[in-house]
Amino acid sequence: MWQQVEQSLHSSMSRVVNQIATLLPGILAFIVAFVVFLLIGWALAVIVRRILMALRFDERINRGAGSIADWTPRMTPSLLVSRIVYWFWVIAGVIVGASAFEAGTSERIVSGWILAYVPRVIGAAILLLAGNVLARFASRSVLITAVNLNLSYARLLSMGVRWLILVLTGAMVLDHLALGGAIVELGFGILFGGIVLALALAVGLGSRDLVSRSLERETSRPVEVPQPEHIHHF
Amino acid sequence: MAGVEFSEETRQQYTERAGSADIVVGIAGPVAPEELRARAGKVMEELGSSVGSLRFAFAWPGPADSGGPSGAERNGHDFVSFVPFSPPASGPEFWSDVSANQRAILALAASLHARACIVLGADLAALQPHIIQLFSWTILERHCGLVLPVYPTKKYDALINSGILAPLHRALYGRRIRFPLVYEFAVSGAMAEMLGRQQRASEQASLLWPVAQAATHSQQPTLGQVFIDARHQAATPGLELSAVLGQLAGSLFYEMERDAPHWQRIRGSQAVPSWGTAPEDTGEIEPGDAQPMLDSFLLGSKNLDEVWRLVLPPNSMLELRRLTRLPAEQFHMPDTLWAGIVYDFALAWRLRSISRIHLVGALTPLYLGWVASYVREVSSLTRGAAEQRLEQNFRAWEEKKPYLVSRWRWPDRFNP
Repeated sequence: MWQQVEQSLHSSMSRVVNQIATLLPGILAFIVAFVVFLLIGWALAVIVRRILMALRFDERINRGAGSIADWTPRMTPSLLVSRIVYWFWVIAGVIVGASAFEAGTSERIVSGWILAYVPRVIGAAILLLAGNVLARFASRSVLITAVNLNLSYARLLSMGVRWLILVLTGAMVLDHLALGGAIVELGFGILFGGIVLALALAVGLGSRDLVSRSLERETSRPVEVPQPEHIHHF
Repeated sequence: MAGVEFSEETRQQYTERAGSADIVVGIAGPVAPEELRARAGKVMEELGSSVGSLRFAFAWPGPADSGGPSGAERNGHDFVSFVPFSPPASGPEFWSDVSANQRAILALAASLHARACIVLGADLAALQPHIIQLFSWTILERHCGLVLPVYPTKKYDALINSGILAPLHRALYGRRIRFPLVYEFAVSGAMAEMLGRQQRASEQASLLWPVAQAATHSQQPTLGQVFIDARHQAATPGLELSAVLGQLAGSLFYEMERDAPHWQRIRGSQAVPSWGTAPEDTGEIEPGDAQPMLDSFLLGSKNLDEVWRLVLPPNSMLELRRLTRLPAEQFHMPDTLWAGIVYDFALAWRLRSISRIHLVGALTPLYLGWVASYVREVSSLTRGAAEQRLEQNFRAWEEKKPYLVSRWRWPDRFNP
């Protein structure tokens, strides 16, 4: 019996080793292709950045009223372009690496799957980036505007806007990646519906007296004669 | 600024309409032509022989057919003509249309080869014989290149001007101009021509352009100030403080960036000769309520800490935190702190540390903090004493200027 166990262990071990041995050239090809493309991407990004700096690309772009720097102040346009170039080559490296991996093995599934999925990942990454930038910009805009309007709940408002955009972005990203299926849509709908319902209930039930008192006070308030202002800013 | 550079054909049309003029009086905003004619006629009658044989042309923004069959007319006075000019395109923001019209008037004066050009506000508050005479006299007799008015303000009036525009201009350009943002001013013919030549599309962002351009020009024109008793009613109900402050601060910072090689060389300031009668100090003490501004500042410091931290150095943040802990009756923002804050904001504008829209928006609560401090300090003082207090503030900005120059040149250097 022990001989049979030993034999089966040996045969499974040799199968695994064989499998790894057949995969090794593919993995090596993947790593080589990826590293080569990584280096090409890095070199091209540096070259592109230097060329753009020599051409004063940032100054030219930022000269307009609504420049890109207003949205991402720490990311200069030349840096953005060079990073796009770099990531383009990284993604190309992954695709070429996957093809090289398949060339070294008998499997034909991985590259097909990656090639089909890469556009979705790129789209999702762009969505995520845009959503984050938009959330940060909008929340700061709301915060500053609310403070300048003397609203005491400025921070709450700003955080609400930030999370609203982030949640919306998250749902869009998951939907774009085809992850979660109907659960994302359902969850998103429930979450937003819940927020609106909670607010409606809070105002309608919890603050009913407060709202009615406030309305009564507004209607019964005597017409105020505006006082002349002594302080003029302009 | 399309529309300001007049073509040769347009120039000929204007010259034909107005003949030629020694002094162009331009209205920098919409005005009823009938009212302008009536007021101008009265002014010319009152001026009478004091203006001698000087030929005047009154210009206002309006369609070409609004001034009669030829677009111009002769008044009862033989030496007066009326010339409408096409209002140039301008942005929707505060002051941009005034600024655009002012530029167009100077371009028109240059086309007519006028010896002097007087620009007036659209409410015609300054269309008075003695003001026209004073402006003309300073340009033609005292040979000033640019003459700016000093308005008879009370101690709580024009606080953006007193708190930011005037001290920053004085520190940067070294000339003690009391009101850099004006409805009225006068320029010599040569200056009008020079300013007309310098106008470029990118200059539209500059709202306080006459002073800045005059101060930075290679052939420094003689500056002058005249005390005038015109009071303008700014349409404040439709204006939001943060929007106006943002636009003015943006314009100032833009000018700073543009003129950096020039203002970095200037140290101290020079007095500008003034004419006319300064308003008397009646000795009246008008108390002011600083609490609403203080509340706005405290709300800002509670919520905008994260934004201010990106712009201001730790030392300024520490001082601001200390201010928030002071009781209202002891609230005092030191002049050097306020000057340093504006300088740091100007630097952040240049470096784009944060979005420029956010930057100028985040300045409003700090400005209100300065206003609260100023109002509290001068509420028991007379107007004259308040003016001295402002002078002290202006000097503090000058003394703090080396900090700005240093930070501007070496922004990455350690700054506690």
